[in-house]
Amino acid sequence: MTRMLKRSLEATGNYEVQALNHGARALEVCRTFMPDLVLLDVMMPDMDGGEVAAALSDDSELNAVKIVFLTAIVTKDEVPPTGADISGRTFLAKPVKTADLVACIEAQLHS
Amino acid sequence: MLHRVIDSTAARTAAVYPDRPERVLLVDDNATNLQVLYQTLSGGGYRLSVARNGRQALEIAQKSEPALILLDIMMPGIDGFEICRRLKQDPRTRDSAVIFLSALDDTDNKVKGMQLGAVDYIAKPFDPNEVIARVETHLKIQRLEAQLARRNRQLEADNQHILAAMNEGIFGLDIDGTVVFVNPAAVRMTGCSEQDLLGKPLHALGLFGDSGVLETAYPLYSCLKERRICHNEDSELVRMDGTRFAVEYNCSPMFEDRTPSGAVVVFKDISERKQAERRLQRAYTELEKAHRELRDAHMRLIQAAKLESVGRLAAGVAHEVKNPLAVIQLGVDFLAGIESNDSVVSEVIRDMEEAVERADSVVKGLLDFSRESTLTLRPGDINQVIDHALHLVDHELTRHNIRLEKQLGEGIGTIDLDRNKLQQVFINVFMNAIQAMGREGVLTVKSRMERIDKPDRAGLDGEHFSVGEPVVQVEVLDTGCGIEDESMVFDPFYTTKPTGQGTGLGLSVTRKIIDLHKGMIDIRNRKEGGVAVRITLKMG
Repeated sequence: MTRMLKRSLEATGNYEVQALNHGARALEVCRTFMPDLVLLDVMMPDMDGGEVAAALSDDSELNAVKIVFLTAIVTKDEVPPTGADISGRTFLAKPVKTADLVACIEAQLHS
Repeated sequence: MLHRVIDSTAARTAAVYPDRPERVLLVDDNATNLQVLYQTLSGGGYRLSVARNGRQALEIAQKSEPALILLDIMMPGIDGFEICRRLKQDPRTRDSAVIFLSALDDTDNKVKGMQLGAVDYIAKPFDPNEVIARVETHLKIQRLEAQLARRNRQLEADNQHILAAMNEGIFGLDIDGTVVFVNPAAVRMTGCSEQDLLGKPLHALGLFGDSGVLETAYPLYSCLKERRICHNEDSELVRMDGTRFAVEYNCSPMFEDRTPSGAVVVFKDISERKQAERRLQRAYTELEKAHRELRDAHMRLIQAAKLESVGRLAAGVAHEVKNPLAVIQLGVDFLAGIESNDSVVSEVIRDMEEAVERADSVVKGLLDFSRESTLTLRPGDINQVIDHALHLVDHELTRHNIRLEKQLGEGIGTIDLDRNKLQQVFINVFMNAIQAMGREGVLTVKSRMERIDKPDRAGLDGEHFSVGEPVVQVEVLDTGCGIEDESMVFDPFYTTKPTGQGTGLGLSVTRKIIDLHKGMIDIRNRKEGGVAVRITLKMG
């Protein structure tokens, strides 16, 4: 999943992407990579997306980083294709079309 | 009369010899003859009387009613023949047996004596042993006759007693079917008097409701003419006053010396039994209904359990499938972004995109199904919800060349509903109808307010609605291909659509939503073709 995301986003030529498959290493990687935006799954093997998001928000250097949850736990009935705000967080439903993903990222980066 | 057959021996002896010693009267004008007769018979255990002439003989006979009279023919004054004639005329002496004694041993006299009612003739001079033997024989016959007469009287009395005591009505018929006998029960049950019944042909009385005439169709006919026992368990008796009651009857032929002499009809009032039978039948019908309801409830329970487990499974599967699906979606997008002049490649990519969309819609359906457990009920206008759903399928209607007939009732007002979920219901139902019609057809959508008028419209278990309750009724009629198996439509994954056009989940989700609204959905084929979907929702 992450490899495909990285490839799709890099193919647009507009993003530099780093992929991780474990929530636990997210904070550490973010400190060196300093992303503008983090795409997070909610259900991950070691540390869930919610915890990672909380940790990022608590970090003084990283609390400005935009976060988008890309998850299977919401359906397209609940969020439109390009994402929606649910309780202050942005959610995208899996599976997502590349164009919709990009639209959502762009909206977040320019908000 | 069994009790009489097993009487004690003593009683039987008393019955056979009730008048012993028997009185025997000896009549002769000759003293010597009389003396000899007296000596011959004394010691035989008889009570003997003697008379010397006719007048004396008649007097004694009238007074003591002897069992047997030995009578001399040739006597001065009234002769033996005349005495016999008078004896036979007098009721008091009529039963005494007469044996003539005479020296006139010729056939004419014997015949004359017999014609006058004598039982025997002894020629003079007589042999004492012959006299004793003949006297004994005739006394024995006399005794047996008396006994027989008593028996007959007793039998007759017993018969009368039994017939009077019977609850069954009895008609005795002669060979022509004329009533010659009725018992008290028959009189009571028919409401006729004995005079009304006796001497009339039974068929002419019109008592039995199953047939009125003594023709070949009349059941009694076969009994009388063909000598068969006939039986009818389910007849009716029509009383004199026209009222009727249920009877069963038996008709048996009677014979005299193997020649049919008539028939006996025995009939019985069975109206109470019939009533009990009807009560039983009603109870049975109710029991059957209860059983059917129980079975239905059981089936629904199984169905519910099945749906529940499918729901749980579906949620798990859906979630697991979404991740790989996301990878494929992104991969397809990626490949589509690479410039290629190969038309086959772009065709493959387009097919893959469609496949992903379809897989995604299956997953979405599964999730909808497993999730619809709560509603957000708000007062809303059902017609607005229908309109909105119709708007969303508008282009599908146009594309399939389907005419829309909209008959939405006015003044329904607002009811408590979950707008989004009901909208999903109507979209599902409309899309099913559109897909069933294919290239053209008519979609009719009706809504109206009405009252539940029959118990069977209140839901099988009656738990949703009560009779008389006002409800909102929405009907969606199509002119499509219909449903193959009406009982299957709510099963997950049941679909009539060609592969690729439907997941089969739509209606199971639909029903779940209607159930959550405490409403009913009924889907069945229309007589004129196509399908009618009827959704009933609560007003309150």
